[in-house]
Amino acid sequence: MHETLEDFALNNGLRDVSPALKLALGLCCMLLSVSSPAPVAPLLIACSLTLVVLFSAGIPAGFYLKLLTIPASFAAMSILVILFLTGGGEVLVSVSLPGLPLTVTTGGANLAVLLLARISGGMCALFFISLTTPATEIFSLMRRCGLPAAFIDLSMLIYRYIFVFISEAEMIYRSQVMRLGYGSLREAIRSFGMLAGALFLRTWESGERLMVAMDARCYDGRFGALDETPPVSAPALVAVALYLAALLGIACLTMQTTIF
Amino acid sequence: MTALLETRDVRYRYPHGPEALRGASIRIVQGSKTALVGPNGAGKSTLLLMLNGMIRPDSGEVLFEGRSLSYDARSLRELRRRVGFVFQNPDVQIIAPTVEQDVAFGPANLGLPPDGVKRAVQDALASVGLSGCEKRPPHHLSGGEKKRVAIAGILAMNPDLLVFDEPTSSLDPASSEEIMELLDELVDAGRTIVISTHDVELAYRWADTVVLMEQGMVLASGSPGDAFSDHALLRAARLKPPWVLDLYNELILRNVIERGIPPKSVLEFTDLIERNTRGHLPQDEPGRVYVCDADATGGDEIRALIGAGIVDHVGAMGSRAKEFANREVILLDFTYGVIDKCILKALIGESSLIITTGGMIDHVHRRIREYSLESGRMLAAIPLGGRREAQMSGEPIVW
Repeated sequence: MHETLEDFALNNGLRDVSPALKLALGLCCMLLSVSSPAPVAPLLIACSLTLVVLFSAGIPAGFYLKLLTIPASFAAMSILVILFLTGGGEVLVSVSLPGLPLTVTTGGANLAVLLLARISGGMCALFFISLTTPATEIFSLMRRCGLPAAFIDLSMLIYRYIFVFISEAEMIYRSQVMRLGYGSLREAIRSFGMLAGALFLRTWESGERLMVAMDARCYDGRFGALDETPPVSAPALVAVALYLAALLGIACLTMQTTIF
Repeated sequence: MTALLETRDVRYRYPHGPEALRGASIRIVQGSKTALVGPNGAGKSTLLLMLNGMIRPDSGEVLFEGRSLSYDARSLRELRRRVGFVFQNPDVQIIAPTVEQDVAFGPANLGLPPDGVKRAVQDALASVGLSGCEKRPPHHLSGGEKKRVAIAGILAMNPDLLVFDEPTSSLDPASSEEIMELLDELVDAGRTIVISTHDVELAYRWADTVVLMEQGMVLASGSPGDAFSDHALLRAARLKPPWVLDLYNELILRNVIERGIPPKSVLEFTDLIERNTRGHLPQDEPGRVYVCDADATGGDEIRALIGAGIVDHVGAMGSRAKEFANREVILLDFTYGVIDKCILKALIGESSLIITTGGMIDHVHRRIREYSLESGRMLAAIPLGGRREAQMSGEPIVW
């Protein structure tokens, strides 16, 4: 079985902190990150939340780093483009390929750094939420915020069936590998097509079985709403408020800061 | 006796498929343990799906409490509240992302108030031995645990009759035994149970009524002893006789034992052979059977008993008792069929201790009392008390 975010969310050092508080902290950090005009505050968010995730929540550093490489790979590609294509300011580096002069200007460099900072701040905030808060607690929060019941019930069903889907896919994949699927590139493409086809059919069947199962249990449009999440503790609330206030202050003070 | 649920000559053909049921009639009596036994494709599952109105027969009728089923949404809802269905694959049935939410699904849809839902969930989880697992996601549970969650989800609706399609399929032997013991507890609590299986040993041991099915028809129904003794019938149903019954019938033919009630367990069989060969059960001083409540006893106390040689064997019944033994590092000799095993040991003069919890304590006392009355050998289950009494009397903790 794969180690999933969910495994950590269910079992980490911050499991008993109120999910509302964790969600508020994460969302505020995300907003601050994407709206900050200078890279200082987002970088600070990235560093501090990383420390919280690694030490307070106790997530293994290896797993966390591996997780960060996913957005990092996307970020690297877009930042490279921005670095070379955005103009303005002095020329820092100039590379001339035949027929394609490439220059890096201070304007481009500053924008690239800002983008990198925003991405890392935002992603760290997102991972902070997903590594410390189980999805089920987020569902109960959504219910309390008054989102439509149909929307939440549907999300819960989808969420439950993601895991059924993963295990089905794993089973089909294994039975293909056992019979020497994915041997060559051609074979791999063919095998993957079969996997997708088989999964589609099984999903369809699962959907029908789900209807039967829900009917058998007197489905009447209601999901059990047993919302018992840990309460907000005063010290945690104060700490989060102070942290966010400090970040906001730093973001305002460093609004004009650029690196190049 | 009046039947709680009855099918009369039901026929059903799947769209574009062969005829799955070709005139099947069964009667399920209140408080009974019925097993539908037959090979794959005999129509067992199809028949079960009719019992709570999931499939409507092409012809024939299904009667609940003497009234023919009507298939409008309202009647079906009421029927499904009273006839719970546990699917073969628990992954099909478990639909919510946590154990608690899944068990709450039925009661919430029945319109219970939040307090009522909560109580129903707690009671249902306690009776399947999963208290404390409320927040766990289903994909982190083992197969046996998932089965228990599925059962709890049905129990929470408080049905009169529970239908299990292949209750022990894809479970390991220990989990299977535990699920069957759970089913016995449900019957003890006044519910009626119908299962389908192709495991003749299981059906013979557990059921009080067996319905043999083959090719969409009922070949025979009756007591397990009768249904499984007709070899021609079993051959027709592509089944083999349970070996305990086979052995019993062969021993009768050789005049080793006399015909009586066919034995169902090792305990009954050994008693039968002993009575027939020696004329009586062992007459030596019997061993003792101690019973202790895992919630009220400390591990030290039990280890002291074992250390002092007062207890030769230890068994645990129920998941809470097993967790307790695991935590206290007490080696268990018996984890299922515990009471029978302890009686067997008591008859040869060895003492044993049964660790269990809640209502099962009474069940142990009752079972041993029943055995004493039936067999004429006086055995007693001795409750094990707390630490204080033991120190005051200076004696092993027995009274």
